[in-house]
Amino acid sequence: MTLHRNFTIAAMLAFSASLALAQSTNKTVALAVPPLATLPPPSIPKDNPNTPAKEELGKKLFWESRLSGNGSMPCVSCHLPNLGWGDGGAISRGYPGTKHWRNSQTILNSAYYNKLFWEGNVTSLEGQAPAAAEGAVAGNGDSSVMEMRLRFIPEYVDAFLKVFGTEWPRINDAWRAIAAYQRTVVTDAKQVPFDRWLAGDKKALTESQQRGMTLFNGKANCIQCHNGALVSDQKFYRLGLPEHPGFRDDPLLQITHRWEHYQKGVPEGQYRNAPTDFGLYYQTKNPKDIGKFRTPSLRELKYTAPYMHNGVFTTLAEVVDFYNAGGGKDADKSPLLQPLGLSSAEKIDLIGFLEALSMDKPLLHDDPKLPGDYKPLAPIKK
Amino acid sequence: MNVKLRIHTWRRWVPWLSGMAAALPLLCASAATTGNAAAALTALPESKPANAAMVNLGRHLYFDSRLAGDWGSSCASCHDPKKGLGDGLPLSAGYTSMEYFRNAPPLINLRHRVRFMWDGRLDGTDAGTAVRDMVTEAHFMNADGRIVQERLKQIPEYVNLWEAAFGKGSDPYSPRMFNAIGAFIQSIESKNVPYDRFLRGDTQALNAQEKLGMAVFNGKGNCVQCHNGPIGSDGKFHRLGVPEHPDVLANPLRTLTMLRHYASSGMPNYMAARTDVGLYAISKDLQDIGKFQTPSLRELKVTAPYMHNGVFKTLEDVVDFYDRGGGGNGTDLRPLGLTVEEKKGLVAFLLSLSGDPITVEQPPLPDLKARGNFGKN
Repeated sequence: MTLHRNFTIAAMLAFSASLALAQSTNKTVALAVPPLATLPPPSIPKDNPNTPAKEELGKKLFWESRLSGNGSMPCVSCHLPNLGWGDGGAISRGYPGTKHWRNSQTILNSAYYNKLFWEGNVTSLEGQAPAAAEGAVAGNGDSSVMEMRLRFIPEYVDAFLKVFGTEWPRINDAWRAIAAYQRTVVTDAKQVPFDRWLAGDKKALTESQQRGMTLFNGKANCIQCHNGALVSDQKFYRLGLPEHPGFRDDPLLQITHRWEHYQKGVPEGQYRNAPTDFGLYYQTKNPKDIGKFRTPSLRELKYTAPYMHNGVFTTLAEVVDFYNAGGGKDADKSPLLQPLGLSSAEKIDLIGFLEALSMDKPLLHDDPKLPGDYKPLAPIKK
Repeated sequence: MNVKLRIHTWRRWVPWLSGMAAALPLLCASAATTGNAAAALTALPESKPANAAMVNLGRHLYFDSRLAGDWGSSCASCHDPKKGLGDGLPLSAGYTSMEYFRNAPPLINLRHRVRFMWDGRLDGTDAGTAVRDMVTEAHFMNADGRIVQERLKQIPEYVNLWEAAFGKGSDPYSPRMFNAIGAFIQSIESKNVPYDRFLRGDTQALNAQEKLGMAVFNGKGNCVQCHNGPIGSDGKFHRLGVPEHPDVLANPLRTLTMLRHYASSGMPNYMAARTDVGLYAISKDLQDIGKFQTPSLRELKVTAPYMHNGVFKTLEDVVDFYDRGGGGNGTDLRPLGLTVEEKKGLVAFLLSLSGDPITVEQPPLPDLKARGNFGKN
């Protein structure tokens, strides 16, 4: 019953979106896109089933600073629950002695992405965790060191034996446990006004938010890329965003900027002349992909400022103004970006709707109780 | 010197490998060493002319903690010129939040080393690669060399030093950066050593006690068997049965660094190791368990404590250890029967292998600066 009604509403939304788009611009051809919907439970990979014990272990490991180079950078240091599971900064703080070069994304609903990181360079949470823990401007950990540290902490030895059945903790199992935990850090639809509205609660959205929804699906054409249950098509677009100003005057950001080009294997000419973050290009080396980044989910925006791959906008109002202007001053930006001509009232409506995609209260997890110090190994029995 | 391996003690020492120990007698049958009559402790040759600009660049980088992943340590942290180019500790500290399991060896007279590292895993003719290993190794400085290279580009003073060393228009590049530091550490040499003056004809350079010690060194003590050549090292690997430093097992941070080193070296059954196996982790040859490379005997005056794990605080301790015939566990050593006077003479002679105090001028640490031409790198 509910499913059927959702489908009907969704189909209508999609239809009106296409119609509005076709009317609003003759430069682009609207494609049928999946309508907004309520998130199903995340899919669980067959080779890494969730169990309560694994989730509990993964939560500890998410907070475990010994899973980093110098014991100071657990996952949670850049993904703090009370900062929307990001770090609140425009650019992520990065490993001590470095700064990162992109915004620390929320891990809320990361369970639903089929591509992770802003340039989509890994395809599973199991692959994302080590890339962050080992990345030189993130965790800077060495996998064999981190693995050996776990083997000297008896509580972890016991937990890994229980969860994975191994005599000694293995680092890839640590990433599996963290991924399993992350699959619990997801939106609860019952707490999201938009999802309650979809489920039939007509009072869940204010009139302003409902007008915002119409704009989202129509005149503003957000739905073109921000669609489906995740409110992201997981594709890559060039928006012509302004550069983070720090790249012009912060030596640490300039270091990371060049290093990223160097270690991602771009040709020397690109390394020497890169005036910006090339995004998807690093993965494909296709010039058409320069400056493209993966569409982020619009769920939980209330708690995940600042916005964009470089955190260049602090408020949703700035984001909406940017799109209303047709994106950045960039000849090569996506043709989907066109001036929207939204009135002040319409912008307020749209922002109201975007906020209705967030839970009423932020999803918070308490700090876990972490195992104690390293302990000497038992002697070998003759 | 006629030496027999004591296989029965060796087998007891490595119970975790006892399954394989049955094969040992066969392997060891040919291992008995014979005396090396030609071995001699020779004078340090004259220095090779170094590339002064490279050495100067390398000296600056040597003291710069921005070569470490988290800026927590520089080369000089564990190889401090004020502490004999070591760190003065039995066991070295290692990277932030880690502890190392061996002694930091003094970086003096490196030009004459056959291999680097106590387990000899690096080629002594390639100081740049050894530097790279220290800077990038997770338990030492844990840096990505390419990040360090980019850091140097933000330091105008270093860019100038770089151009002086490598030519106008060349810019910091990590392999060359390691080679510059390698050139610097190879330039640190003993100067005005009494024993060298003696060998070159100054018979007054050694006193009577030191001359007695020299005779013991070359004769009854047979130190010269392994401690020969210009730095007093044959560059080979020997099992002395040096007692394990208790902290290697008592401090789990050290044990885990050791076991992880074994794991990443591809050593079999590394989780069962409860002592430092030395060369074996590299060679995987059972005969190499507990063998370490012969260290230099130069500059012992300033490089205590001694041995691969710093377990002996004084040269008297070291001499007593050899006089006892080492520490068992299958060592080739046997008791020497030295008198008190002979021991004192030997220590005095060993100290005469130290030269003038080695000083290295520590340069100022210039700041990172923004580059004004973002997009022109």
